[in-house]
Amino acid sequence: MQLGVNIIVLAAIYALIACGYVLIYRVSRVLNLAHGELMMLGSYLLLATASTFTGHPLVAIAVALVLSLCVGALVYLFLMRKMAGEMVLAAVLTTIALGILLRGVMVIVWSAQQQYPGQALGVVNPAIALPGGARISTMAALLVLATAVIYGALFAFLRFSRWGVRMRAAGQNPLLAAQRGINLHAIYALAWGLSTLTGSIAGMLISLDSGLTGTMVLIGLKAFPAALVGGLDSLVGALFGALIVAAAEISLIHYVDPLLSDVVPFLVLIVMLIIRPWGLFGTREELDRV
Amino acid sequence: MTVPLLSVEKLEVVYHRAITAVQGISLSVKPGQIVAVLGNNGAGKTTTLRAVSGFLGLDDARVTEGNIVFKGMRIENRRPDKITHLGLVLVPERDKVFPNLTVAENLAAPVAHRAGRAERRRREALVYEFFPQLAALKGRIAGLLSGGERQMLALGSALVGSPELLLIDELSLGLAPVAVESLMRRLVEIRDGLGLSILLVEQNASIALEIADYGYVLENGRLVLDGDPKRLLQHQDIREFYLGQTTSGERKSYRAVKQYRRSRRWYG
Ligand SMILES: Nc1ncnc2c1ncn2[C@@H]1O[C@H](COP(=O)(O)OP(=O)(O)O)[C@@H](O)[C@H]1O
Ligand SMILES: [Mg+2]
Repeated sequence: MQLGVNIIVLAAIYALIACGYVLIYRVSRVLNLAHGELMMLGSYLLLATASTFTGHPLVAIAVALVLSLCVGALVYLFLMRKMAGEMVLAAVLTTIALGILLRGVMVIVWSAQQQYPGQALGVVNPAIALPGGARISTMAALLVLATAVIYGALFAFLRFSRWGVRMRAAGQNPLLAAQRGINLHAIYALAWGLSTLTGSIAGMLISLDSGLTGTMVLIGLKAFPAALVGGLDSLVGALFGALIVAAAEISLIHYVDPLLSDVVPFLVLIVMLIIRPWGLFGTREELDRV
Repeated sequence: MTVPLLSVEKLEVVYHRAITAVQGISLSVKPGQIVAVLGNNGAGKTTTLRAVSGFLGLDDARVTEGNIVFKGMRIENRRPDKITHLGLVLVPERDKVFPNLTVAENLAAPVAHRAGRAERRRREALVYEFFPQLAALKGRIAGLLSGGERQMLALGSALVGSPELLLIDELSLGLAPVAVESLMRRLVEIRDGLGLSILLVEQNASIALEIADYGYVLENGRLVLDGDPKRLLQHQDIREFYLGQTTSGERKSYRAVKQYRRSRRWYG
């Protein structure tokens, strides 16, 4: 029972992070390898707002969320926009450089020590007993809830809202989208903003649950196989990919060796790349464009 | 004399900084006109339309000379979405709809510049009025449409942007003659109903000249003929090389083709 709960929580973490990879890849065919760092930056932003707005945790959280949305959009407008029309590889390399830069800056500003935004905010994180004797921390439960709500909202946005439809249109044929009067820069900035926002929400909840250190980047990186296993251009795929990776990881930790934890997602990825390289829900043609 | 809505002067477009695709192209479209641009494969028709609609950028092509004036504004090398907002909309030759979106979503995606909610709804309703077939296909994925339906959807999506000038690249491409006939009639209805102008690029000369008010003929990236459609239809060269008719009813020899090449006039 506890095993099942652990799988669900880890799957929710991976899914929430993976949707950021999918959003950016889907509209602009760029792999954002700075996603883990941006997600960690989101958590540090919460730490910063928590100490600025002491006694008002909701305000601090709201401000941190808005800031992380802006960070994503600004990364596009000031950095990735220059890459428009360049090779996709150049854009991906740029995101790697951005990640390294962000990591360095975060160590300088916030040091490499473990921090606890939960304490700064004054929120508590009691464990909740579930039927069957399993336990889940409040923040982990919130994380599962947040993942469900955010996926629901993203599906609705992409399917029913005009800007969501435009985002899908731009992902399919950017030239035609521009021709139809759609401002591609606005679309891409929105995708980067939403991606960083969802990643930051994951980062914030993880850091409220278990504190904040540089290892968060690794969690971001481990969610990448989840996105790829699902097919990179599919949100449904990311959900299933997250579930598969999390199930494999938790089971192997439990039955074989806890030290396997950091290896398993990439093992799953390699197996996937051998048997079905375009992912579970990805389209075969997508592969040529990577 | 009316002021032209669009005037292109001595346009030159170069691909990859090396290949000159068109040179010295001058043409104009007056308000309310349907203007046909004819020419064989590779003549430079698509390149000209893409230059006018700002569609060149991502193909590493550039307008290297000449100017393009729309409603009194220079528009060469402007961003395509900005040109669309000015009221100049292209229906491209290939990839003209979003294949993974439904018909309704294809019509929802275009930006209707400066249009409120009601105006937007009116325009989408107008599309279904001009193309009633689309109304029954609202939920269909555009990739599953027939060639003719896809062409209607492309025209419809262009109309949502409320263009003053519609550029259409090869309306007849891959369509059955009956379908082309009906689409052409629909175009005239749209022009008359909405009072817009149309620049129509075609390989199929006879059908384009039938509805056009003026015609241009391109060859090898240059303008070789222009004039009144009736006159063009009577023109010996057009009859022989675009309509495939010969005065004596047989195909011309290579010698005759060379003769024809020498007799054309060159512009630019
Ligand atoms: N992407 C491209 N790169 C290089 N040359 C091109 C490209 N597109 C078109 N051309 C060249 O430009 C010329 C005109 O092509 P195009 O405008 O497509 O003609 P048309 O539409 O009349 O068939 C051709 O000689 C073609 O080889
Ligand atoms: Mg063409």
